[in-house]
Amino acid sequence: MKKFSFISIILVLVLILTAGCTGQQAAPPAQEGEQEQAETPEGEEAEDEFNPQILFNGSSTLAPVIASISTNFIEGYVTWDKVDPSFPEKNIAIYVSAGGSGQGVKSVIDKTSDFGMVARTVKDSEKEQLPELQEFLVGIDALTLGVNPNNPVLTVKDNLTKDEIVKIFSGEYKTWKDLDASLPDKEIIVVTRDIGGGAHEVFQSKVMGDVEVKPDAIQAPSMGALVTKIIENEYAIGYASFGVVNQNIGKVATLKVDGVEATKENILGGSYIIQRPLLAIINGRLTEPQQAFIDYVMSEDGMKVVEEMGFVPAK
Amino acid sequence: MKDLKENIFRTIITIGAVLSGILVLLVFFYILKESIPFFREVSYKEYLFSSSWRPLSTNPAYSFLPMISATLYVSFLAILIATPLSVGCGLFLSFNTSKKSSRIILSFIDMIAGIPSVIFGFLGLVLLVKFLERNLDMVSGESVLAGALLLSVMLFPYIVTGCTETFMKAKDIYYGASQSLGVSKWYTMRRIILPFARKSIFVNMILALGRAIGETMAVMMVTGNSPIFPKLLGRAETIPSLIALEMGTATYKSLHYSSLYAAGLILIILVLIIQVIAYMINKAGMRRIG
Repeated sequence: MKKFSFISIILVLVLILTAGCTGQQAAPPAQEGEQEQAETPEGEEAEDEFNPQILFNGSSTLAPVIASISTNFIEGYVTWDKVDPSFPEKNIAIYVSAGGSGQGVKSVIDKTSDFGMVARTVKDSEKEQLPELQEFLVGIDALTLGVNPNNPVLTVKDNLTKDEIVKIFSGEYKTWKDLDASLPDKEIIVVTRDIGGGAHEVFQSKVMGDVEVKPDAIQAPSMGALVTKIIENEYAIGYASFGVVNQNIGKVATLKVDGVEATKENILGGSYIIQRPLLAIINGRLTEPQQAFIDYVMSEDGMKVVEEMGFVPAK
Repeated sequence: MKDLKENIFRTIITIGAVLSGILVLLVFFYILKESIPFFREVSYKEYLFSSSWRPLSTNPAYSFLPMISATLYVSFLAILIATPLSVGCGLFLSFNTSKKSSRIILSFIDMIAGIPSVIFGFLGLVLLVKFLERNLDMVSGESVLAGALLLSVMLFPYIVTGCTETFMKAKDIYYGASQSLGVSKWYTMRRIILPFARKSIFVNMILALGRAIGETMAVMMVTGNSPIFPKLLGRAETIPSLIALEMGTATYKSLHYSSLYAAGLILIILVLIIQVIAYMINKAGMRRIG
């Protein structure tokens, strides 16, 4: 008997190992189909290719939106056959993980996820690696210039010209006094996101151009941390996401950019310049369940969530 | 029957050992492989001896020097703050309390080591950074000092546990003799125990240093992450923070991506050097004591 228990331990180990291996290969769709086949040999052909899982990876700005929409989707339908009678009765599983726009693109390229979430336009260099790229515009995020409500600059002006913003962020204006002589002689604390991030890229291309942000700016690891810094420090300024600012009304004051206020109308109309698209991208054709979910994201219910999260819905 | 069982058991543990060995090598070689494009493209003069980090600029510059110096600055400062406190704490626990209460206190100190570093980072951000802003007249409290103070609290349990063990050992060996000679407790500590434990204290410092260098989250939250040369009251960015901040958003397979792997490789090498030093000193020390 003992012998059998040892053998079974080895079997379990081998199983774990092989399971680990297939997990790592993480499966282009064809292979996944094969796996399904192995598990349900008696299934019909349509069922063979049916994958009840959808994986999202990417932008930490878009991730909560997709996660929230998918929660509604899963709670509303539970199994796929309720979404569409032609689908098999399998539980809906949508996994959303956040790791930044770059990782979103990367995960689609190396096929570790189905959809990438990207909070910027997809670069040409990335498009080369994604021959069958499809983009779905979920919403628009705008970056507002946020300052602490107690910041004395608000008593002097409610608008910054693009030129002034560049000078503040590049370090040419070191103290608030440099911006306006009546302001106190306190250092301007510039808060940015990490320089590789989608938010920074938008800010760099839409405002800074070729000018570098000063190296001693504080790099916040998340949009939440950036806004927290502004809320806590009277002399801080940073590009806060429109959505996050809307969640902190009264705690963050925003400045107009070149006389244009960051409102929904101005963002959709394009007159407010510091904005970025929130995209779900995929390489190749959508499977039917993927199409069904994307349809739901684009539906009124999905767009309502986008708006509730403080972004500007695409439709 | 018995042979078979033993054989199977031996196979299982061999597989385990080989797998974990391979895993270490795999991690190392993967990082090496991913960083090769960077080392090929950028000369060592630039990444070790220049001063700017602008990987995404139209005029890119890749220097790890500010980050390497910030990593070492924050870690060494943290060790310098933590060591005297920990040694004092260790002596107190070995000589001034009963065995039972020192065991209880030690278990509480060990618990500090179990607190997730993001919690430390959060407290640091909310309390320490604010405290520095108020008391040192800094416009913004994110600084090397904040990182080092926070890190020193995190390292404290590691050094205390290691040192106390040696102090207890030294107490067993020498305390009886020094008591029978009528020497005071304080004299024994200063002249007998501390010299005896010198090597052990040093090794514990080095081990804690290895941990300090790799600490990411807490340091990232309180140092401001500016890739500039570190000053005590200025902002700085350590190598782990650099990797954590930029890896998620670096374009796949770009030079920027590869440079972050290179930063990781440099971090591993730094930690390895420190561990080798600790190992050699430990060996020398053991020989003398043994």
